Amino acid sequence: MNSTGNLVRIAQLSCGAEYSGIQAEIDSAVKQVNAVMVYPEVDIEDIENIEEEFGLKVASADLKLMMARAKSIVTGKVKVDAVFVATCFRCAEAAIVRSEVRRYLNEKTGIPVISYSFTERTTAGTLLTRMEALTTTARRKSLLAREEQTGLTAGIDSGSTTTKSVVMKDNRIIGKGWVPTIKVLESAEEAFNNALEEAGVKREDIQAIGTTGYGRFLVGEHFNADLIQEEITVNSKGAVYLAGKQKGSATVLDIGGMDNKAISVQDGIPGMFTMGGICAGASGRFLEMTAKRLGVKIDELGKLALKGNYQNVQMNSYCIVFGIQSLVNSLAAGSTPEDVAAAACHSVAEQLFEQQLQEIDVKEPVLMVGGTSLIEGLPKAVSELLKVKVIVPDNAQYIGAVGSALLASGFILK
Amino acid sequence: MKVFIYPTNSLILSDLVERFGHEPLAIMQEIGKKVRTPGLDSPPINITPEDPKFGLKYAAVEVPSGVRGRMSLFDSLIADAEAAIVVRDPVISFGCMGCARTNELVNFLVRAKKIPMLEVDYPESEEEAKEFVYKISGFLKSLGSRAGEEEA
Amino acid sequence: MDTITKMLVINSTTVLPSDVVIKLYESDADVSIKETCFGVMVTGERRIVNEVLNKIRRMDPYGIFIKERGLTPGEQFRCRATRRGGARPGFHNLEMEDKLLPHIGSALRALDKGEIPEKKKKTKKLDVDKLKEIIIQETEV
Repeated sequence: MNSTGNLVRIAQLSCGAEYSGIQAEIDSAVKQVNAVMVYPEVDIEDIENIEEEFGLKVASADLKLMMARAKSIVTGKVKVDAVFVATCFRCAEAAIVRSEVRRYLNEKTGIPVISYSFTERTTAGTLLTRMEALTTTARRKSLLAREEQTGLTAGIDSGSTTTKSVVMKDNRIIGKGWVPTIKVLESAEEAFNNALEEAGVKREDIQAIGTTGYGRFLVGEHFNADLIQEEITVNSKGAVYLAGKQKGSATVLDIGGMDNKAISVQDGIPGMFTMGGICAGASGRFLEMTAKRLGVKIDELGKLALKGNYQNVQMNSYCIVFGIQSLVNSLAAGSTPEDVAAAACHSVAEQLFEQQLQEIDVKEPVLMVGGTSLIEGLPKAVSELLKVKVIVPDNAQYIGAVGSALLASGFILK
Repeated sequence: MKVFIYPTNSLILSDLVERFGHEPLAIMQEIGKKVRTPGLDSPPINITPEDPKFGLKYAAVEVPSGVRGRMSLFDSLIADAEAAIVVRDPVISFGCMGCARTNELVNFLVRAKKIPMLEVDYPESEEEAKEFVYKISGFLKSLGSRAGEEEA
Repeated sequence: MDTITKMLVINSTTVLPSDVVIKLYESDADVSIKETCFGVMVTGERRIVNEVLNKIRRMDPYGIFIKERGLTPGEQFRCRATRRGGARPGFHNLEMEDKLLPHIGSALRALDKGEIPEKKKKTKKLDVDKLKEIIIQETEV
């Protein structure tokens, strides 16, 4: 786990965190990953001149302070390992500054940056995965540089909806397991056993295990894992590995059962990333419910969507309740199931596009991973919106498990 | 009289109001109350997630939490204000005054109270400072002496 | 007990923060005192702090400025020494206002002398017809 690593210095560039009453939550998340928050020093002249220099004029002084602090990092006045840029959710002015500050830092320094918009309900738990990813990138560059899986290792991805496991040997996947998540540990056991069985190896022969996903801590402890890692790092690695795009830039999109991840990757290492998780209508769950209403299996929904046209269906809402209601009404009004399936995929893709992709630089290749990437209509809808080719690598649904098994091989004692 | 000042953390306004015999209503007092409340533990200034919820009194949930949290700090200042001195286009100020949306709302609410109010420009030179101080002293004198001190 | 902290920002040619500190100690008031880069912070019961600071103000009414401070002196979450890096946001505010204090000081002095300042003339935005005229003139040259 990360918390055993060396102390990481994270610069906090924020507006409104104290007044939202969540500074204590930020501090707690940071403490759990053995990091400290640093507040970059600025001079009053820096603040007075920053709008001119940065080229962005804003009304709120705390946003000016944010820009001036970013400049302190760029000019090397303060040394930090990572940056946390955060502002209030629903503040338009802050969203513009947040995005530009993040881009500025990324272009000028290459220091890992995470950007986040909070409400008073933001908790340390929500922030933890993000802080873990941020500190891992800062702390474990050598581990993340690994491009080949060696020896006999396993990865378990304990997701909110499904649990996946793979067994890998000498850079090849030799066994896979995929089960719905019911009880975290039992499902992990089952997925792992399936993978072991398919691989034809015994558990005791596995040289190293990596875990990821929502249940990573519990599962990791249970299997005495060598690596317990959040899914942003692991999925980035897994995606570029499976797609054979380990060098250069790439964008990884993962629409999960509970949240969506959009990650800019450079040489296999996550740079900027966002994790959205506010609305179920933007998640894999929405597609699952659509499939249910259409009376098809989830793995049939994608093919259905490929044959349909989303524009034939009027959707009034992105909401998992009202949006589905729109789809049902369309069916009653004579829309075909193909068009409805396409509209559902478009709705989810559009939300990813509208809510998250501003926060990262979308660079090709664009890789879609996770179980939802197999719903063919979804990568198609994303491709149409982004106007780029979207690649779904083989075994994309095992992305987390593969990434874990790959990174875990770094822990095999030679 | 209790005189609301804007910027609410201004040293100069706070000093002038007190100097001319009135009580400045400044944000520092509210921060002071927060940090000295025993049992609260939400550093650095003890604003908890309950504050933005309290701020719903002034703005709906679609207004950012930072605005509503700040409004909770301003609440008693707005309620207690008997007069106000507002500086137009003040120098940039941070922290409690760091959010432009909050400042707009606070300014509006004070105006809406229809209490005696003075609006002055932020001075940029010695001459302007003289006018600034002159107007403020005149306004404060026109408010009469501080309640409770009349008998003294 | 209503405990408060007040900060004195000293912008005086005759009084130093150390002079104020000595005077405060001499006053025997039940307050705690902290000298800082911009002046002095005084903590204690509201009535006592106000009383003693009224006397201190008289040391240089045009060079000593006073406001209440929310945070206690040396607050570890805000103090530069323990917070790793930059000053608390309010410090920059103070820096901004500090630049204006000499002008405020002389304005107060002028007020005491009974000077009536000239009213600043308000400038309006140039009339659009006038602007048009200027543009035509300038482009003809």
